[in-house]
Amino acid sequence: MIRQYPALDERVAWEKLENGLTVAVLPRPGFSAKMAYLVADYGAVHTEFRLDGKRRTAPAGVAHFLEHKMFELPQLDVTAQFAAMGASVNAFTSYDLTAYYFSCTEHFDDCLHLLLKFVGTPYFPDESVARELGIIDQEIGMNEDDPGSRVFENLMRGMYAKHPIRTPILGSRESIREITPQVLQLCHRAFYTPQNLMLCVAGDVDAQRVCDAARDVLGTDAPAAAEKLRDWQEPAECVQNQICDRMEVSMPVFQMAFKCEPPGFGEAAIRQEAVGDLAAEALFGESSPLYLRLYEDGLIDGSFGGGFETVDGCAILTCAGNSRDPQAVRDAVLAQSELLGRQMLPREAFERMKRSAFGRRIRDLDSFDSTCFRLCAYHFSKFDYFDFPAVYGSIQPSDIRSFLHGIAVPQRCCLSVIHPIKEELS
Amino acid sequence: MVETVELLPGVVLRCCPVERFKQGCLSIQFLRPMCRQEAALNAVLPAVLLRGSERHPDLRAITLRLDELYGASVHALVRRVGDVQAVGFLCGMIEDRFALPGERVLEPMVEFLEELLFAPRLEGGMLCPAYVQSEQENLIAEIDAQRNDKRAYSVELLLERMGRADSFGIPRTGDRMSAQAITPESCDAHYRRVLRESPVEIFYVGSNPPQETARLLRKLFAGRGRDHKSLPATTPFHDVGGGDVEQCVHAAQGNLAMGFVTPITNRDPRFAAMQVLNTLYGGGMTSKLFSQVRERLSLCYGIGSSYYGSKGVGLVTAGIDNAQRERVQSEILAQLDACRRGEITDEELRCAKASLLSGYRAVFDSPGSVESYCATAAIGGIDASVEARMAQVAAVDASQVVAAAQALRLHSTCFLKGVES
Repeated sequence: MIRQYPALDERVAWEKLENGLTVAVLPRPGFSAKMAYLVADYGAVHTEFRLDGKRRTAPAGVAHFLEHKMFELPQLDVTAQFAAMGASVNAFTSYDLTAYYFSCTEHFDDCLHLLLKFVGTPYFPDESVARELGIIDQEIGMNEDDPGSRVFENLMRGMYAKHPIRTPILGSRESIREITPQVLQLCHRAFYTPQNLMLCVAGDVDAQRVCDAARDVLGTDAPAAAEKLRDWQEPAECVQNQICDRMEVSMPVFQMAFKCEPPGFGEAAIRQEAVGDLAAEALFGESSPLYLRLYEDGLIDGSFGGGFETVDGCAILTCAGNSRDPQAVRDAVLAQSELLGRQMLPREAFERMKRSAFGRRIRDLDSFDSTCFRLCAYHFSKFDYFDFPAVYGSIQPSDIRSFLHGIAVPQRCCLSVIHPIKEELS
Repeated sequence: MVETVELLPGVVLRCCPVERFKQGCLSIQFLRPMCRQEAALNAVLPAVLLRGSERHPDLRAITLRLDELYGASVHALVRRVGDVQAVGFLCGMIEDRFALPGERVLEPMVEFLEELLFAPRLEGGMLCPAYVQSEQENLIAEIDAQRNDKRAYSVELLLERMGRADSFGIPRTGDRMSAQAITPESCDAHYRRVLRESPVEIFYVGSNPPQETARLLRKLFAGRGRDHKSLPATTPFHDVGGGDVEQCVHAAQGNLAMGFVTPITNRDPRFAAMQVLNTLYGGGMTSKLFSQVRERLSLCYGIGSSYYGSKGVGLVTAGIDNAQRERVQSEILAQLDACRRGEITDEELRCAKASLLSGYRAVFDSPGSVESYCATAAIGGIDASVEARMAQVAAVDASQVVAAAQALRLHSTCFLKGVES
């Protein structure tokens, strides 16, 4: 089915195959690059699930470990095969999705077959799984040395009591040692079924051939995916309101957030996200009075930024940056959010903000990467991303006020700070 | 595909007229010599100009104007190309066809840029001192914060060591001491010098016709009383000897950076062979470094090589276990030795060339990559089209890659030893 989106000058060929795979193809005539994203609706937080009637618990970090190990096929070096075709292939794991993607300018059909093949084939030799531990150990070390990752991971521990977002995507050095080839097999069978995947392609390609490739490689069977167990029962308040750590940084690094209602699915969820985005703009976006005041007072610099973020079962309104006084930034943001939760934004300012947000989203559509990924991510939230103009159109200033009114309380707010270590090393 | 128009003496516009994008891209760059005396001044200048103009006197007023222009962006641009430091603005804006009927975006955007560049907020006839001081503090904080990213910091220390007598050793945004020396007076005098003397390179990627774009942009510079001074061509890397740097840092990992030098620059006929070597050696997931040091030996997660053609400098970086430093370093050199001995498979060569060719083909697929490729080539004085570069890469054979490897020499190393805090 071809859907037209005149406001965006876009059209997309959508198909749902017999095996359950959703396929979206964005024609990009005249472009050299072609990109394909194959995304699993499965990420780091999905450690509890029901499969074959049994409740299962997987070790933390297994989604990411699985992503690393998918790049192997019997007698075939997957990355070398892509490279031989001039393509680059990569993958990443987020809290709630795992994405595999390639870009190429030639041999698109062969690349697509290979992508579908390696993601669809579980192959985990013992020695290869053992070797991966050393690599992920080093990745965990790199993550621990990154102030941005650490301040965020601490923040999640400070905010959430039960939700698995408390645990880093990579897991821990201990938890990854519980991962065996059998665990990887189980998680692959649970979550890498065609109906739990989506394929999105952008480029000067033929949509029918894309669908045919997916049928050829993944077959026509439609095995059921595991049921994700989301019995997290998270309280509305944060576990703690401040969490501190120390690293070798030049000035304090901070991230703060308000704990929001979990997003749910469908248009309501996307509307909440758009409202959250606009609330973030109104509260601490570059055109907000608060941003100017904090910048002119030297409390924030160009590193400051924020927005509304959602993960399966979590949503936060957050901002982060470097500051000599994170506590003062936190107090100012909290006070301003309380104010905006009571006052209506002037209509003119609100319309200008919407126009700006709309323009930025239009500009983003030039990126194959972000467009393919968003189409997949929103599809798993049961929404067509390209319908965002209508969602934006329906939002009113009162929505922003209500949103902020609901979250702008100290109990929902947490501040995570990395303080500099003063001690000099020789 | 790129049309060049000399708007005025010393002001060149390069247009890439394309209609298939949803956004246009415009950059205005003033070219300065990359030198210690003015690197920090150059870096702070666009940030100061973005703080306020006569009509839009503070950050908020500027952002509100950009919001009106459908979320257009203007970023300070500080770019190093060989011995040149290019400073100015990089802008992105939706194509006019997405604006409301009767509204345009590019034309008011150019007018806004004129205001930011030529009508900044002044106090007592000078650039607003409070803005200069504030952006000076931000620049110093940014320089200090380079230490936060240990891998980038290891490269910074390495380049400082390698480039003691070359512009490549000067940090892109200047060093801390030069940033501290900035005053409102020095910044204002420098602003006027930059406008008066600097050659200007303007790039536009979008659907507006080149002649129409030239008309809009010519107005910016007409009648400004400029007296531009040409810059000397980039010189080869000036080598005064290498050395090893080692420092302890609070970190879980160690970070190793190794610097190599070669007489082969992007002005050399052997440039394509060096690019192929870099890709094959450490440029991606099929490279020798990735497949051997990471995948076979599990010695690290992140490892890779890069090559700076303007100066003929190669780098290898890796995040490693402290205890494995010597083993990793010797394995990195062993893989280069393998290239020098000609231990390069047909497959490795084919993969490296295919990867480079694919990258070149995709240059014209996004406004940002067009701007970046064309600006870097033009500022660097490189007269090579994408097609010409592709033909050179396609013609590279194994013997040329071996010769490139033999022309690469280890110069210096930097090791940041991680100490648990």
